[in-house]
Amino acid sequence: MSIHIGYSQNLVRYELTITDTIVNFSGKAKRAIAVNGQIPMPTLTFTEGDIAEIVVHNRLKEGTSLHWHGLFLPNKEDGVPFLTQMPIEPNTFHTYRFPIIQNGTHWYHSHSGLQEQLGMYGSLILKKKESDPTFRKGIDDLPAVPLILSEWTDIKPDNVHRMLHNASDWLAIKKGTTQSYSEAIKAGHFKTKLGNEGKRMLAMDVSDVFYDKFLINGKNESQLSQFKGGDKIRLQVSNGGASSYFWLTYAGGKMIVVANDGNDVQPLEVDRLIIGVSETYDVVVTIPTENTAYEFLATPEDRTKSASIYLGNGPIQLKSRMPKLKYFEGMKMMNGMMNMDGSMDDMGMEMSLQKMDMNTVMYPEVTGNIETKVNKKMDNMKMDDKMDHSTHSMTSTQDLVTLNYAMLKAPHPTTLPKDVPVRELRFELTGNMNRYVWSMDNKVLSETDKILIKKGENVRIVLHNNSMMRHPMHLHGHDFRVLNGQGEFAPLKNVLDIMPMETDVIEFNANVEGDWFFHCHILYHMMAGMNRVFSYESQAPNPYLPDKKWAYKKLQLESNRLHLMAENDFASNGNDGMVMFQNSRWSFGTEWRLGYNDQDGYETESHIGRYIGKNQWFMPYVGFDWRYRKTNGISEKNLFEQVSTKDNRAVISLGAEYTLPMLVTLQGEVFTDGKVRFQFMREDIPISSRLRWAFMVNTDKEYMTRFKYIVTRNLGISTHYDSDMGFGIGATLNY
Amino acid sequence: MNNNIKILTAIAVFLSVVACIAQTKNTKTESVKIYGNCEMCKNAIEKAGYSKKEATVNWDKNTKEATISYDSLKTSKKEILKRIALAGYDSDSFLAPDDTYSTLASCCQYERVEKKAAITEESKMEMASIEHSKHDAMAETKQEVNQLSKVFEGYFVIKDALVKTDGAITSTNAKSLLKAINEVQMDKLPMDVHMAWMKFLNALKKDTENISKTQDVEKQRESFKLLSKNIYEILKVSKTSEPVFYQYCPMQDANWLSKEETIKNPYYGSQMLSCGKTIETIK
Repeated sequence: MSIHIGYSQNLVRYELTITDTIVNFSGKAKRAIAVNGQIPMPTLTFTEGDIAEIVVHNRLKEGTSLHWHGLFLPNKEDGVPFLTQMPIEPNTFHTYRFPIIQNGTHWYHSHSGLQEQLGMYGSLILKKKESDPTFRKGIDDLPAVPLILSEWTDIKPDNVHRMLHNASDWLAIKKGTTQSYSEAIKAGHFKTKLGNEGKRMLAMDVSDVFYDKFLINGKNESQLSQFKGGDKIRLQVSNGGASSYFWLTYAGGKMIVVANDGNDVQPLEVDRLIIGVSETYDVVVTIPTENTAYEFLATPEDRTKSASIYLGNGPIQLKSRMPKLKYFEGMKMMNGMMNMDGSMDDMGMEMSLQKMDMNTVMYPEVTGNIETKVNKKMDNMKMDDKMDHSTHSMTSTQDLVTLNYAMLKAPHPTTLPKDVPVRELRFELTGNMNRYVWSMDNKVLSETDKILIKKGENVRIVLHNNSMMRHPMHLHGHDFRVLNGQGEFAPLKNVLDIMPMETDVIEFNANVEGDWFFHCHILYHMMAGMNRVFSYESQAPNPYLPDKKWAYKKLQLESNRLHLMAENDFASNGNDGMVMFQNSRWSFGTEWRLGYNDQDGYETESHIGRYIGKNQWFMPYVGFDWRYRKTNGISEKNLFEQVSTKDNRAVISLGAEYTLPMLVTLQGEVFTDGKVRFQFMREDIPISSRLRWAFMVNTDKEYMTRFKYIVTRNLGISTHYDSDMGFGIGATLNY
Repeated sequence: MNNNIKILTAIAVFLSVVACIAQTKNTKTESVKIYGNCEMCKNAIEKAGYSKKEATVNWDKNTKEATISYDSLKTSKKEILKRIALAGYDSDSFLAPDDTYSTLASCCQYERVEKKAAITEESKMEMASIEHSKHDAMAETKQEVNQLSKVFEGYFVIKDALVKTDGAITSTNAKSLLKAINEVQMDKLPMDVHMAWMKFLNALKKDTENISKTQDVEKQRESFKLLSKNIYEILKVSKTSEPVFYQYCPMQDANWLSKEETIKNPYYGSQMLSCGKTIETIK
């Protein structure tokens, strides 16, 4: 479908038609988005010096856009809806047109909502001219294969996003990473788990989303049989995954890294490398033997599954799979690093540039495998033998060369213009795991204005990650230098992966005016507000975006939407449930307990609250309570000797909620009728992978305890005892 | 009521018949060669190939032939053979990763078909460079001036063993270090080095002995902290021909010496291999 016509010598034109489609990656038919009928989107190829003209036809029922990731282009062609253009409306088309002024491996994707997760990603290859003085013989003339990595989930991305905000643990259950108390005890880590909850942390993982399949060029497994023994191949790898980092390994030996984010680097031989979300790496691999195909393996950081492509012909030489992570070791380390006030302590280690991966404590291939069960079954002699071998392979893995940013070195000096003003900016990357709020300096995009910079000046940015997860920070329209100790040969990148507690410094020359997005490229973090906009002072108006003020408000709203959460327990003694709308700061919720008769009573509580502080442990609120219960004149006294009949009560209240260690919420409330109530509650204590325990006790002498077994994403079986309604058993539906 | 039960039974019987037919319709059985040796291999191969309700494998250790039966709608021969190869057993379509093969019990290490190396430009060049490095190694052995260099060498091999978290080797190395310490002829040391040596000799002996006495790496590391400190004091005075890096691990609040600048932490080993920083370069 893509038409490739040269109107003049160097105009290269593509027609892209975006449509809804049905795919089946996992055994279930699901909605996805295809471009020219395919996933990934077609590979677009240009040569430096060409003029690109890309016509996008939107046949979806929603607006869309395409962003050219890593490209230098006029701001209006950058493809960010409500920042550089209006969304391409359904059944309309839009033409992007810009000169190609660089070379390298890049990619393109939708910048609208979560469309990227549904299939809107593709390779974008800008070829170097052979006459280019930087043309590297033996590298730039090798056969090249673009590979785009991605993931697929059967759950709708919008729903994934909502579940993350609601701290749903369904995704963890699917991954087998609940890290419950019983699992902790089994692993001998009960204290670790206790310490973790003591510091008010929920179990965490290196990544959050459960994926059904991982893909290379849209396939879980594929083969390039055109290659033979002795061939050298340049793999142009882009990570088009929405939230997955991938480990890249090769069964045929070491890989030579020759470029990163579309910029050449001095060749580096490595055993493995991790490619951050939205990064690109060019690696050269060799097929070492005749008549054998070698596996190039992409393993997501959580190591749940993998995707492979086989290079060559004949029997396939596999690469060993990366062993499962030791989560409780990670938890233990996290406990050590976490202060009681929710900030992180790097213990005086000056961490930067991926040099020290704290996750290493979770890697069995490095720390040795604890599972020696297999060995125990064997007799002594065999056991000795086995031990010998395992120590042997352990020592060899210690010498594995893993790429980090400090190793990257540009082939030519990359220094910025001298004698221009320097603007220094600092950002602290912040986050709240429990409520899935991701921010910079504890502010989401909707709480900040654009950051003004001047054309011509050098912008130096110091980034410090004080959140618990790594973030691939991406700058639109510019490459920045990563100050990594290589002096004037500092590598150029447009995505910087920054691990927890790291501090990195980047700098760039502000040389193209416009409004440029600077954000975390993990799609769900971006949509949770981890964004900023760099705006050039006194820039020319953008013809595609007449009302920029209004558009910025729209952009801010995009990443601070309200999320619905609802639950109802249909139990033998009544209905018990809640519905809640929340965004990064506000919470609007109603809870109810409805009996089946007047004696059991009916009661609802509604709260409108605002989360305060970085950790969001504190939420003051106003509330409205209504209850009716036929008590036949019997009145009750609370702990403060205040008497109430629960008969018929409608009051407004003022209260606050605070999360205590062990994730117990303390709620204090004063009602308009003078009554006071304090309440302790903890929900979702993970007993086992799927079993949850909850309890509540308050000064009205009410109490409740409940067990819930999670059956599916939306269904649980629960049993509870409630001081008002007695013992009940039922089914819990949740959304 | 009775009627209902009859109808239900009839439906149940009907359904199970349908299910049986469906199952036989999709089940495929094939014979395929898988390399292996013994009864242990048989268990491993069959376990790796098995998948609940999808695939079963029956391997004959004499013929090396496996009979695999699988539901062709749910899985494939390729998938089964891939799983088996990932457990360490080659077939004609998939080869096991070398590191997995090497962890098989010795009785299971069947003979593998050797792959024919492809000839590339690099392979020729590599041969040449290997020759080179041999020469370099020979040149190095000639220079050994400093009397204490044996002691320092002894220290570095202990450190390397601790980096690998190997208690047994650490202990053996400590014994050699102790011997080297005892062999030092104090009177032949330069004056300032002599003074430093005298000052720390007893502590050196004691810590080295403590390391050699146990195979418990954690205990060894405790003694190693003190040993490192004292070696540093001596090395600062005596100097060596090559630069030595004095490194620090904030998590343990402890130092160590290394000949390479890259951090390889002896207090954590692989668990936090790269934790630490160089605080002084002694030249």
